[in-house]
Amino acid sequence: MSLQRDPDRNEIRLLRKYVEIKDKRVLEVGCGEGRLTWQYVNETQTTLAVDLDRDALRVARADCPSAFVDKVHFVCADSIRLPFAKEKFDIAVLAWSL
Amino acid sequence: MVHALSEIRRVLMPDGILMDLRPLAEHWRVEVASLREVKRTGHVTDLPEQTNGDVAANEAMHELERLGWFRREQEELFPYIYSWDTPSEMEEFVSDDWQDFIDLDDETKRATRAAWAVADADSRVRIRMNVWIASWRKQLSQAEHTR
Repeated sequence: MSLQRDPDRNEIRLLRKYVEIKDKRVLEVGCGEGRLTWQYVNETQTTLAVDLDRDALRVARADCPSAFVDKVHFVCADSIRLPFAKEKFDIAVLAWSL
Repeated sequence: MVHALSEIRRVLMPDGILMDLRPLAEHWRVEVASLREVKRTGHVTDLPEQTNGDVAANEAMHELERLGWFRREQEELFPYIYSWDTPSEMEEFVSDDWQDFIDLDDETKRATRAAWAVADADSRVRIRMNVWIASWRKQLSQAEHTR
């Protein structure tokens, strides 16, 4: 399949325009296979990427570049019950998931 | 939907930002595009699951604003392109991955195939989606302020 998505990279350009990601603690809800995650995670302090789809998370973990393994954690969870009692985030990203 | 947004608000810092990114159903354009030209060949048909989903999401965000949980700061629509080498690859993707959300009518399929057949060698078939981006700033209630 020859699929290309967002060749002009508008999505990450607009996300950066709207919010300062650098050194922030980011929660991404609906990360799927990490389509958007990979485009910004290296700038963050940490990223917790959440999805209910275990297969998609398996792909995301397998695809995770070694340089990012300390930055990003993929968590299987439902957004109506986030498994974070103490963690606080500077930014939450709804990635096509609302 | 509001429950999920309430959970997200719970784990955000007091001045935290919620970014909402999502495609909006608006009869996305189907095009055959090369470096030299872009030819519009039709549009997708929005299915109820997509349009109803948009309405529900918009209502949920308005509810957050009404409750005073978040304040909208900025918003805009931007183009997000999916493209394929051939019309048949586009049709296969739409029927496999987006069958609940959009459809392609026969006239759009025919026009796209016809345009692609005579297009430049570097031509690709594409769907131009409209994606919504909005930033929302978390607001604290009086009770939260006084804690």
